[in-house]
Amino acid sequence: MDPATILIVDDEFILRESLKGWLERDGYKVEAVASGEEALECVKQSRYDILFLDIKLEGMSGMDVLSEIREIDPDVAVIMITAYGSISTAVEAMKQGAYDYLLKPFEPEHLTVLIEKIMQNKAQARENLYLKQQQKDRTRFESLIGQSEAMQQVFDFIQDVAPTESIVLISGETGTGKELAAKAIHTHSRRSGGPFVAVNCGSLPEHLMESELFGHQKGAFTDAKNTKRGRFELAKGGTLFLDEVGEISQRMQIDLLRVLEERRFYRVGGTQPIELDSRIIAATNANLEEAVRRKSFREDLYYRLNVISLSLPPLRKRKDDIPLLAQHFLERFAQETNKQIDRISRQALDELMLYEWPGNVRELENAIERAVVVGKQRSIEPEDLPITSPQTAEPAGTSLQEVERAHIARVLSENSWNIQRSAKILGIDRSTLYSKIKRYNLRRDQ
Amino acid sequence: MSPAEEPHILLSPLGRIDEHILPSLRSAISQVYGLPTQIASLLQGVDFAYSPERRQYHSTSILKELAATLTPAQIKVLGICSVDLFIPILTHVFGEAELNGRASLISTYRLNEDLPAQSWHTVYLDRVVKEGLHELGHTFNLKHCPDPRCIMHYCRHIADVDHKERSLCRYCRIFVADALQELGLAERLGPAARPNHTDMLHRDHGVPDKGSGESA
Repeated sequence: MDPATILIVDDEFILRESLKGWLERDGYKVEAVASGEEALECVKQSRYDILFLDIKLEGMSGMDVLSEIREIDPDVAVIMITAYGSISTAVEAMKQGAYDYLLKPFEPEHLTVLIEKIMQNKAQARENLYLKQQQKDRTRFESLIGQSEAMQQVFDFIQDVAPTESIVLISGETGTGKELAAKAIHTHSRRSGGPFVAVNCGSLPEHLMESELFGHQKGAFTDAKNTKRGRFELAKGGTLFLDEVGEISQRMQIDLLRVLEERRFYRVGGTQPIELDSRIIAATNANLEEAVRRKSFREDLYYRLNVISLSLPPLRKRKDDIPLLAQHFLERFAQETNKQIDRISRQALDELMLYEWPGNVRELENAIERAVVVGKQRSIEPEDLPITSPQTAEPAGTSLQEVERAHIARVLSENSWNIQRSAKILGIDRSTLYSKIKRYNLRRDQ
Repeated sequence: MSPAEEPHILLSPLGRIDEHILPSLRSAISQVYGLPTQIASLLQGVDFAYSPERRQYHSTSILKELAATLTPAQIKVLGICSVDLFIPILTHVFGEAELNGRASLISTYRLNEDLPAQSWHTVYLDRVVKEGLHELGHTFNLKHCPDPRCIMHYCRHIADVDHKERSLCRYCRIFVADALQELGLAERLGPAARPNHTDMLHRDHGVPDKGSGESA
């Protein structure tokens, strides 16, 4: 760190020189001037960390100098130097933005502490600014990638909730990165030293699920030849990630609810309770509220899981992340396959941007992987991509009216024939949409 | 060359001081700065520096008087007094020195604060010696050092002086060597002041200026 630069403004020669000499022994870069006018010139010409300013100066008063300095360089810490008679002015100066004041003569210790404090605060402020900037510039958070506003909010959210012990319910379409988000929460939590154990609740048949989650005692059932520890036990001290939690059976929902309420569980066939010592993060691509309404998901479990909810945006809602993600995957797969492909052509990028990505980031990842594998040139070209964007979906011979009809029908269908929402997406008003529906003879059951 | 003409550090008692101080200082100064010492009273007293308003003695005035009386062989002077010293902007000082100059000054007045009940005199003498080495260090252009064990470390409280060692850190040793070289006295470095091979290696690899980045 560079030594602090200090400017002393005092019209008494002996005072400013003795302070200058004292501070120089501390290794500071010190200048001293006799008037406010000279001080302003100095501040215009150079940067100072600290300015010692006598309140009573001949010519411009210390208060006037203070107010002008605040205009020229608000970052400089101004310490007013005052005598017993003018403490009230010094206090007023602090209201006007002075950092502190010192009563002449000052204790050497006090002077040292004050300068150290100022320099520490400045270093802290610089660090905060750097972190803020870094935050602004970040395009990655653990394994999640995105520079869009939507993803920045996700990163902020993860950082906020990670240190808590609360259950988090992550929702998002398939391929949006729910497990990566769960891992990021785990990594930033107090349990990061423990294991991250994931269970895909949708992939296990019900009869295996109980044993998989809770473990079993030897002899608990016909095939239980050995005692086995379940995922809840394996996640001790860490995080248990229950993926596709909307897929678990009604029976397992009851078991899971009981564990979450009692914070303990039993192995299948076991009689000794085991304390739950893991943070639970659940994820779903299903609409759990809808499932609760349909009675296929227990309401009490839903509320138990939905303590903190994080919704991951689909890729089509954060298309500005596509170039960043595509480049990331390109670099990864090019390295893995040892192929000399290092860029995506403008036309291919246009295709990527126009496509709606129903499979989200995972689909993009697969698309880039395929493009790298089949690609024959230095860059990825549209023909390498296994996608068809809406613009290329219609055959070349299709008329404009036919394209418009098909597009309106698709938007209406995707929005359950919500006219207001569809009109907004199409960029037309409702009456125009009604007239087009009538003209093209579109019907809800088509 | 007579002893008086040989370059040396002068210890100048200013008024009555503890009889053990000068021998202790002589030994420590030779050890740390590698130069011979002599003793002579340069001033007839320090009353000229008395401020009736402050009821203290203005240390800068004393320094100036000391510096003005030096002969060429007296390359540095350390004045030792027992009165309460001040500089106008501060309530008090334990000592003062001309940075990269010739004169330095210490006072024993406040060095007896917070002394331990046992071995108080040993601790007191140790403080006087350390303050003397510290102020003399400034005349060799040494600034305050961040290393809390180095004699050039600035102690906020007098009791903290007790934790310092009577030696310079490896960086400060190099800076003293530089200063002595400028004075044409490089060959006179004492064992404690002489930079060792490791010091020089560090120096060659660009150790930042000791003054940079340190706080008081």
